[in-house]
Amino acid sequence: MSPAGTQRSLPGASGSPGFPSFLEGLRVVAGREVAAYFDSKIAYVFVIAFVVLANWLFMSRFFLTGLVDMTAFFDSMPLLLPFFIPAVTMRLWAEERKSRTIELLLTLPIRTFQAVLGKFLAAFLLFGLALLGTLPIVVMLVWLGDPDLGLIASGYLGLLLMGALFLSAGMLISALSCDQIVTFVVSSLVCLLFVGTGNEWAVALLDGLSPSLSAGTFLYESFSVIPHYDAFVRGLIGLSALIHMLGLSLLFLWITAQILERVRE
Amino acid sequence: MIEVDNVTRRFGKVVAVDQVSFRIGPGEIVGFLGPNGAGKSTLLKMMCTWLPLSSGRIRIAGDDVQQNPLAVRRSLGYLPEHNALYEGMKVDRFLRFMGRARGLPAGRLKERMQWSVSKCGLEPVLGKRIQECSKGFRQRIGVAAALLHDPPVILLDEPTHGLDPLQVVAFREFILQLREGRAILFSSHILAEVTSISDRLLIIHQGRLLADIGVDRLRERALERGQDLEQCVLEIVRAGECVA
Repeated sequence: MSPAGTQRSLPGASGSPGFPSFLEGLRVVAGREVAAYFDSKIAYVFVIAFVVLANWLFMSRFFLTGLVDMTAFFDSMPLLLPFFIPAVTMRLWAEERKSRTIELLLTLPIRTFQAVLGKFLAAFLLFGLALLGTLPIVVMLVWLGDPDLGLIASGYLGLLLMGALFLSAGMLISALSCDQIVTFVVSSLVCLLFVGTGNEWAVALLDGLSPSLSAGTFLYESFSVIPHYDAFVRGLIGLSALIHMLGLSLLFLWITAQILERVRE
Repeated sequence: MIEVDNVTRRFGKVVAVDQVSFRIGPGEIVGFLGPNGAGKSTLLKMMCTWLPLSSGRIRIAGDDVQQNPLAVRRSLGYLPEHNALYEGMKVDRFLRFMGRARGLPAGRLKERMQWSVSKCGLEPVLGKRIQECSKGFRQRIGVAAALLHDPPVILLDEPTHGLDPLQVVAFREFILQLREGRAILFSSHILAEVTSISDRLLIIHQGRLLADIGVDRLRERALERGQDLEQCVLEIVRAGECVA
């Protein structure tokens, strides 16, 4: 504290600031998170690793099939995202809780849901950036032939929605723990559950174990992300798929905010 | 500006704060004194809206902490006990983030940042990451962030923790400059620190407010009893009786 320079008149206690608007609050929180991703190098590692792996998985099948479409790319994503998305979400709240900065953040004049949504937007932006790195595949296909661009756009939309769902689930789990490793592992398992319940073998197995309940079919129809994602990949943008993926994402974000309110207690 | 009425906070069966009441008006600097675990930080956490109250009522600048927490946060400058900061951020970016999150428009933010940085002597570390700063500078960063939005109510939890003796003296002078128009409550477990700048003392022990007493009155009481201030405070704490 510098006692020097006291000649300057001190601002009075008047003129307190207002609240940041809802959008400004989101922008401030999201901006800090995006900067934190790049400061900690997570962003670089995530984007580079994702782009390299996604392109490699696509190319390895593309040259075998010789088809000018992105089915191979979209098919590989449900297996890739359960390991990549938790790497983005694991620190979001676990780190805040461990370092106690959560008290700093949640005593600012912003709502808890604003903070949750802001962090989600930052993670979603990073995911979007990684997806931008796969656009050279589209450029290459257009150069080589005449791919169905509508189908590709629909597939990307499905991918963004599935990513949003996994991000919100990962964020919820991050709010439950102070340990980033635990958060990563549990988030991966949850994402794999969303994917695995859409596997026809898993459905048959679960149905076989409980023929009267048809648990496998029930999970496939009501929980799994795969039937909805597959619809997008096939170019079918259905309302039920939108509701399922967006609705669950919003539900997870809302639950995250509720958990954070309980953390205070 | 600060109205605390019959506030109680329980953690399970443990009563951390027990029926505490006091008021602090504008222009007052009040020291919150008590040993570790007395309930000082718990009460401050309730005042800054971080912890919910088990019962009672707290109003900050006219707003109820439970009914209107956002308005309370807008009126508050709060330095938490552990002063947790975003380690990876650069100091200037951190202050800008805090100001924008508090709704300061760009022009005002620039002006307030200049003021906070100058008053807290942060010029040497502005471009550094917080994790690279010394403990003393980290404490100053926390104080600068708490004052950035020019709040009418300031809550400081162990603000001199980690500061060297010269910095402590400078900090006292700094706090005295902030007095006009503001209600300032700061906690400490060091008596000399609290009595040197406070108008009043709140002495808390085992969650109970044992004394809400002017520093001058405390000195008189000590003189009457032939005690020094420390003995006088210890007597109050040991007796466990409320003193006004």
